[in-house]
Amino acid sequence: MRLFRPANIRTRLAVWYVVILAAILTVYIGAVFVFQYVLLERQIFHDEIQDVETVEGLLYFDTGGVLRLQEGYHSHPQSHLLEDRLMEIRDVSGTVLYRSDTLKGMTLGGVSSPDEGANSYNERSTRLSDGTHVLLISHLHPVQGRLVLIRLGYSMAPLHEQMMHFFLLLLLATPIALVAAGFAGYSIAKRALRPLDLMAARAEQITASNLNDRVVVEHPHDELGHMARVLNHLLQRLEQAFAQLQRFTADAAHELRTPLASIRTTGETTLHDNRNEAAYREAISGMLEETIRLNQTIDGLLLLSKAETAQSDKSHSSFLLVELVDEILVLLEVLIEERHITVQQEQEQVSEPLFADRSLIRVALLNVLHNAIKFSPDQAILRILYSRHEQDGRVFQRVCVHDSGPGIPSGEHERVFERFFTGASPQSAAKSGAGLGLSIAKLIIDRNGGGIFFDETAAHGARCCMDLPLHADRHRQV
Amino acid sequence: MQIASGSGRILVVEDDRRMADALVAGLKEHGYETTLARTGEEAFFLVHSTHPDVVLLDLTLPQRGGLEILAQIRAQPMDVRILILTSHNSVEDRVAGLNAGADDYLGKPFSFPELLARIASLLRRTSVPAHSAPLQLADITVDAQARIVSRSGVQLELTTREYDLLLYLLEHRNNTVSREMLARDVWHETSRFTPIDNVIDVQMTRLRRKIDDPFPVKLLHTIRGVGFILREPEL
Repeated sequence: MRLFRPANIRTRLAVWYVVILAAILTVYIGAVFVFQYVLLERQIFHDEIQDVETVEGLLYFDTGGVLRLQEGYHSHPQSHLLEDRLMEIRDVSGTVLYRSDTLKGMTLGGVSSPDEGANSYNERSTRLSDGTHVLLISHLHPVQGRLVLIRLGYSMAPLHEQMMHFFLLLLLATPIALVAAGFAGYSIAKRALRPLDLMAARAEQITASNLNDRVVVEHPHDELGHMARVLNHLLQRLEQAFAQLQRFTADAAHELRTPLASIRTTGETTLHDNRNEAAYREAISGMLEETIRLNQTIDGLLLLSKAETAQSDKSHSSFLLVELVDEILVLLEVLIEERHITVQQEQEQVSEPLFADRSLIRVALLNVLHNAIKFSPDQAILRILYSRHEQDGRVFQRVCVHDSGPGIPSGEHERVFERFFTGASPQSAAKSGAGLGLSIAKLIIDRNGGGIFFDETAAHGARCCMDLPLHADRHRQV
Repeated sequence: MQIASGSGRILVVEDDRRMADALVAGLKEHGYETTLARTGEEAFFLVHSTHPDVVLLDLTLPQRGGLEILAQIRAQPMDVRILILTSHNSVEDRVAGLNAGADDYLGKPFSFPELLARIASLLRRTSVPAHSAPLQLADITVDAQARIVSRSGVQLELTTREYDLLLYLLEHRNNTVSREMLARDVWHETSRFTPIDNVIDVQMTRLRRKIDDPFPVKLLHTIRGVGFILREPEL
């Protein structure tokens, strides 16, 4: 059952606040009321016992054998009119010897029970024949050698009346308190949530064109401030990703246009001149080569997007890095032989396997090794070094590929991983191809929880190091 | 350029006019009886009227999608091989196509030699397999059992890779093979972005050095922009 569900948080908070306060107040009032009642009742019993003690000292049998109460203890004669005490005294056989005027002839407490008043005061509540609620005690007491049963009681009516007043007072005060608390709760909630409105208003205005805008952080250290900062970080990441995407789209368009332009120009110039068959053949071959380049660039872009989204462990397996590198070296063997390059592998024993997408890691390693061979001069030495590497409590296997080529100019050690980056010198630009190989390698290795970088301290040649998380390490992490 | 002629009826289902014309022209030149359908309806009609051996099916057709045509053809008792040609080239697309009943799948842009090789392979599956031709071309002979290659009676020392490469070229004799075909079938590289064109070129140079360089008649030729061909010397 849904009675009432306000749409905004501040009303909801205020309503909850009031409901909870009302529940607490109800319990509190009930407890106080009961406690007070019990306390007063006990006070009445206590007074009755005091009264019985007093009355005992005032009782006497007159000469006619009638039980009487000394009236002389009242300092003022009219005082006895104020007495509202009810009293009845019987002898052991049950005959009433004395009955106070306040009882108006009614009996107090009915037939006497055998042990009544002998061992205790028999505190009890009873009703008179006119329905008055009475708290009653009994006591056995000898008066001038005769044992009498004194019954003494007070009417509960005044107490009930007082308690009713008390209750009505509380009943009246509670709604007033609740209304006041509700208003206070609502305005406090409203004030506390005001930064949220500001944040929402600002965030609503942020679109792709003004991603550099940020939401306002009013109090940096409270929850809403935290929220605002998280939102701002999100915006910052979005802005970066968006900028990267824009740059990438522009770069990709440029990279795709370059071979297209070449195809177009070749076609136009060849068609324009009246050339012989060999020239046409030459032109068409050139155009075909460009289409192959174009296709490779597109494949590279698709691989990038695949590596970007490939997260699942499904395609992961465990394998030894050394075996994978050897496999790639066999593939590239013919290039290595042709260029008379010597490959030296230096290895610290790492027997744990890696856990990663083998086919993707293979692409990354193949790109890096192929690069190293491409940039190595003939008869050079290519060194492959393995080591164990620990960072932030995680264990990596590091493999470094150190060629003796021209190396990387300072300041470009990071930039070589950018998409479509090709070296500044015409010689390296000619060898770079589409300029996607290293960015693909970096993306793949990053996505597998590793790292790739060019060692800036390498004295000569380029030294590309890759850190790949070891299988055993992964289990410790999980 | 010498052209190895095939025989068989091919239905090309392709809505891109230029692509369709190029395909039809190329296939006709290679001796195939070729018809063209530009829409799904036309394709469905022509399948029934011309009874082709092979259907080259583009998946992105106007009106009815290629997969729908494929399912319709497969719902009927017809012996026809279907090769999907499409630029939807992810693994999922491939699996979807093959599950729908295609016999083969070739992503655009493909190399024409590769298309020819696939068609030939599909046609071989339909007809009685020809007894394996003697591994001989001009004066090159290959003893497949002993893995010995000789030219003009001179035994040639080939590495395993060179031998596999030569064997592949011999199997596709007089037909061009593209680098994609070599990467997949000889190097067994499955990833499409692997920079092994370089490796293939160098390997080809080395093979040529052994089988061609010492002899006056050249058999192994590079066709720029397309691939390589091992062919009979022109007389």
